[in-house]
Amino acid sequence: MLGFFIKRLLYALPSLWLIVTLIFILSRLLPGSFASENILHSQSESYYSKSDKSAKQQAYQNYLLRTGQHLPLFYFSVTANPEPDTLYKVYPESERLHLQKLAWQYGNWPLVTAYYKNLQRINPTSETKPALEMLRKAVDGKAILSALADLKKAAPYSSTVQELEKSADNLIRNGTGYTYLLPKLHWHGTQNQYHTWLAGLFTGDAGNSFRDSRPVQDIILEALLNTWIIVLISLLLSCLLAMELAILFLQRPFIKLKQLIMPVLFLLDSVPLFVLCLLLLVFFANPDFLQLFPAYGMGFFQTGNLSWTEQFINRLPFLILPILSLTLAYLPYITNQFYRAMLDADTSDYVRTARAKGLSHKKVIRLHIFRNAWLPMITVISDFIPALVAGAVITETIFAVPGMGSLLVASVQARDYPIIVAIVFVVALVRFVSHLLADAAYMLADPRIRLQR
Amino acid sequence: MHTLLQDLRHLWKLKPAFRIASVYLILWVVLSLFLPLLPLVYEPNSLDLNNIMQPPFQNNPSQPTHYLGTDAIGRDVLSNVLYGARTGFFIGVPVMLLASVIGVILGAAAGYFGDAKLKSSKASIFALWPLTLFSLYFYGLYIPAQAATLQMPVATASIGMLIFILAGAFILLRTLLNLIPSLKKQVTVPLDYIIVRLIEAVSSIPWLILVLMLASFLQPSVTMLAFILILTSWMGIARLARAEMLRIKALPYMEAATSLGLPTKRILLQHALPNMLGPILTSFTFGLASLLTIESTLSFLGIGIPPTVVSWGRLITGIRSDTSAWWLVVFPGIFLAATVLALQVFNYYLLALSANKKKA
Repeated sequence: MLGFFIKRLLYALPSLWLIVTLIFILSRLLPGSFASENILHSQSESYYSKSDKSAKQQAYQNYLLRTGQHLPLFYFSVTANPEPDTLYKVYPESERLHLQKLAWQYGNWPLVTAYYKNLQRINPTSETKPALEMLRKAVDGKAILSALADLKKAAPYSSTVQELEKSADNLIRNGTGYTYLLPKLHWHGTQNQYHTWLAGLFTGDAGNSFRDSRPVQDIILEALLNTWIIVLISLLLSCLLAMELAILFLQRPFIKLKQLIMPVLFLLDSVPLFVLCLLLLVFFANPDFLQLFPAYGMGFFQTGNLSWTEQFINRLPFLILPILSLTLAYLPYITNQFYRAMLDADTSDYVRTARAKGLSHKKVIRLHIFRNAWLPMITVISDFIPALVAGAVITETIFAVPGMGSLLVASVQARDYPIIVAIVFVVALVRFVSHLLADAAYMLADPRIRLQR
Repeated sequence: MHTLLQDLRHLWKLKPAFRIASVYLILWVVLSLFLPLLPLVYEPNSLDLNNIMQPPFQNNPSQPTHYLGTDAIGRDVLSNVLYGARTGFFIGVPVMLLASVIGVILGAAAGYFGDAKLKSSKASIFALWPLTLFSLYFYGLYIPAQAATLQMPVATASIGMLIFILAGAFILLRTLLNLIPSLKKQVTVPLDYIIVRLIEAVSSIPWLILVLMLASFLQPSVTMLAFILILTSWMGIARLARAEMLRIKALPYMEAATSLGLPTKRILLQHALPNMLGPILTSFTFGLASLLTIESTLSFLGIGIPPTVVSWGRLITGIRSDTSAWWLVVFPGIFLAATVLALQVFNYYLLALSANKKKA
């Protein structure tokens, strides 16, 4: 048994690793885009919009350093040939872009750096400033030469300008275009974002949140409990309800009831979860209609002197609507699956034998049909847990429950990638564990099943 | 194709619920196509700031009535509901069509070739395919993307280089194959294994979470969202197409076609595919229903869809500013649920018919 679980874990690890790695890399392909939107180019009235450009640059650079995003993404990278592998170290971004453009245009990095160093050396005065501004943007030969001519007019006897002219001439004459069509492999070593993240993961450190710099695992652990309460209770409720309904449907005297409930369930199935949640919210937590439940949040936390059960009872009114909406949303599917599983068992030979033996209808269902419908039901339940977690995203957001789902939505809106990646990791883990538990449950339900594979 | 039409006609005659659902769906399609021609008083995005949060069915003598009320900034609910139907149609149907094409191709290939049937030479597996993939990435994706950020006109050169390299690789491979016979050695490609693993990997994370996450990586726009939705919604159809292909492959007429020596392409397109249409249609409508749900969920959450796009979800978001404005949830909610329900009913009868056929 234990050996089997270890074996399954070893099999599952590569795919888990692959998923998380892919997501990590995808999430960082656009480095700092959220931050650059918020810090560098913010137009709205925010903290950074009041400061000047260089302060914004400094803030942005500090942000990248703090979140480790100044490092290269992966162990190696493939870039266009003329780009050096240390280009990412150049700040600010506008200068880096200009350098990159020059490198692409002329394809010769030493010449580009020589030209650029000379350009940096010139002191901006009131006369040379407009020409320098032009030079900082100019890429193709004509634009550079005309800007240089302006510069010479402004400062005719400066030696630095003459050196600049020489290097520009050299660059334009000796640069070769189109070398960017050749790929070049760069090796970054272990100083990269992926390595630091993965190494941290093995030591139990999933990094820090981009938003508030708190450790990711703390934030997730706080959110996990509420989600688990909601998911587990609604899982239990919907499974129990579905079982009872399926058993009811199998009995002939209740055929009228079945004909009544089945279409209702079918109808319920086509109402999207978020609409269902909002309808419940509008009609049961609203002073204009019925205010039976509190609408938002989880109440005040008074963890100090309350016992575990008292805390739970305090929170219960806030949990009823989220649990109810999840249960209602998934009940049709589960009931249908359970009913089908039992119907399949109902047509088998042993059920006919049991009936012929003279067992009562109830006994046939509870002892024979139910017992044999276990296997497909376990499959349904194990597939159902990840779906519930996804459903929790919607319910938690609408009812403002501080759980994993609302955390995910908030992180997506803020592009807080470490949290997003961690949540996806947890969800993938939950799916894996639920399948593992399903295998164990198969064995308990049917001892003929051996755990091999 | 013929049998599918026959089935539909049969269901139309016998089942009133199927008829109602079909009529609703046809109306939906017609409405989506011709909505701009309709003489609506209010545009979906025009603001009527004098009448904000107006409840439905209230007549205001001085100006045209907002039949279904208005939202917090005075947008007309009726026209938003109608245009929301159109948005749902124009996002859902093309996305599902493309996803079905991907799904059917991958699933049918996995089912037909299995793990042993597809053979390829060593050279193309170890040289041609990696080279093709890399040059597609580098010249087709990386350089154009970089050129776009650098604002340099190099994309055409890049595509030219791509074509040049691929053509060169093909010619080189030809000559190499003739010179070194060991490269010609055929190796079986475990296509089924690869595709099944791919399906498993993509569906290992719940759809909503996957889409939310991918949407956070890109700028919100309808094209990007459609791209994400296509990439994450082909698995259901692929699974079904694979199963159907496995079933069809064992049927006598496929054996007959193979023994007649027909080319693989013809067997797949003319013999296998027409017999898969029924199940594919059911999977299509099912996928469309869930796409509509997820599209409105995303625009409700305000993720992935820009707020300028008219949508049922955007209309429903208005409830957050005032929970007593029930009409903001109820009307779009009814239309959304009714469309999903019509698709489900359509699906249900089609599935029941094919199940009955299998029994008989």
